[in-house]
Amino acid sequence: MSLSVLICDDSNMARKQVLRILPEALADNVQLATNGAEALEVLNSQNIDVLFLDLTMPVVDGVGVLQGIKEAGITVKVFVISADIQPEMQTKVLDLGAKAFLRKPVQLDVLNSHLEQHGLL
Amino acid sequence: MNKLNFTEDQQDCLQEIINVAMGQASDQLARYLDTFVYLKVPSIEQVSSKYLSDTINSEAQSVAVVSQGFFGYEGIRGEALLMYQPKDSDRLADLLGYEPDELSVEEQIIDLSSILTTTFLNVFASQINNQMSYSAPRLLFSSNSENKTSSQSSISEHIEHQSFNWDVALKVKITYQVTDYSFNCDMVLLIPESAIINIAAVIDRILEEY
Repeated sequence: MSLSVLICDDSNMARKQVLRILPEALADNVQLATNGAEALEVLNSQNIDVLFLDLTMPVVDGVGVLQGIKEAGITVKVFVISADIQPEMQTKVLDLGAKAFLRKPVQLDVLNSHLEQHGLL
Repeated sequence: MNKLNFTEDQQDCLQEIINVAMGQASDQLARYLDTFVYLKVPSIEQVSSKYLSDTINSEAQSVAVVSQGFFGYEGIRGEALLMYQPKDSDRLADLLGYEPDELSVEEQIIDLSSILTTTFLNVFASQINNQMSYSAPRLLFSSNSENKTSSQSSISEHIEHQSFNWDVALKVKITYQVTDYSFNCDMVLLIPESAIINIAAVIDRILEEY
């Protein structure tokens, strides 16, 4: 059975950037969200295995999503993909439960390396 | 049709390129100030030359502006203006951690602006497979500024004396909120129409990959 994936980013191009480099095992069952509120709605109503999450977004930002996931006790592997590359932000999202921080624009080899590290490849 | 009207896809692509550039500029700013910078989604809009003149002229007090020219390949070039409000430019010394009299306010503003402009544009350029070179930054004041000295050009004079004609500029509104302070600055990129057409062509090439 394929893993369910949610890509959350307010940019259509950024969502496509992730989508086009997803390995086959993750590319069959993909949903998209354009802000953090949409992502939380999906996460609260469905079982999602992997979330690729942007940080700087309108409505609810990526940090808000991570806090929402923590408060609701949702089990999902979160990979943050963001342009906000400050070390303090990277530490913050990892403390909130993200598996990894990937800087934008995300590269295929970097994504694969993190997925492999977390048993998803 | 106005050639500077980007399609929804072009606008989205440009926004994402600017987000990435802003993220790296903010990281540089955070390292420079040894603090954390809260990022907001930047707003991008096209503004007319009339809008820019009106905005500058409507300011009752002085507005500090740092102007820096940039030049890349494929005819991509322009002038970056970083515009600070008086309440923010007065606090830069605290923000930058300088001792009193260590550097003049003018030097501090130029320091900060140079970091933000060159980091932003270098990252912007690298994403569109380009490379920028820069002219020296210049501090300008609005024509009604009481702080203006004889050696400083007014913003309106400076804009009028650009080596290229432009009717529309790209305004990227950036809000940097630092842990203990907050200040806003608008980055306005004055780009000649020919360069914007070239940027649109590069964006189209990027979009074709998706």
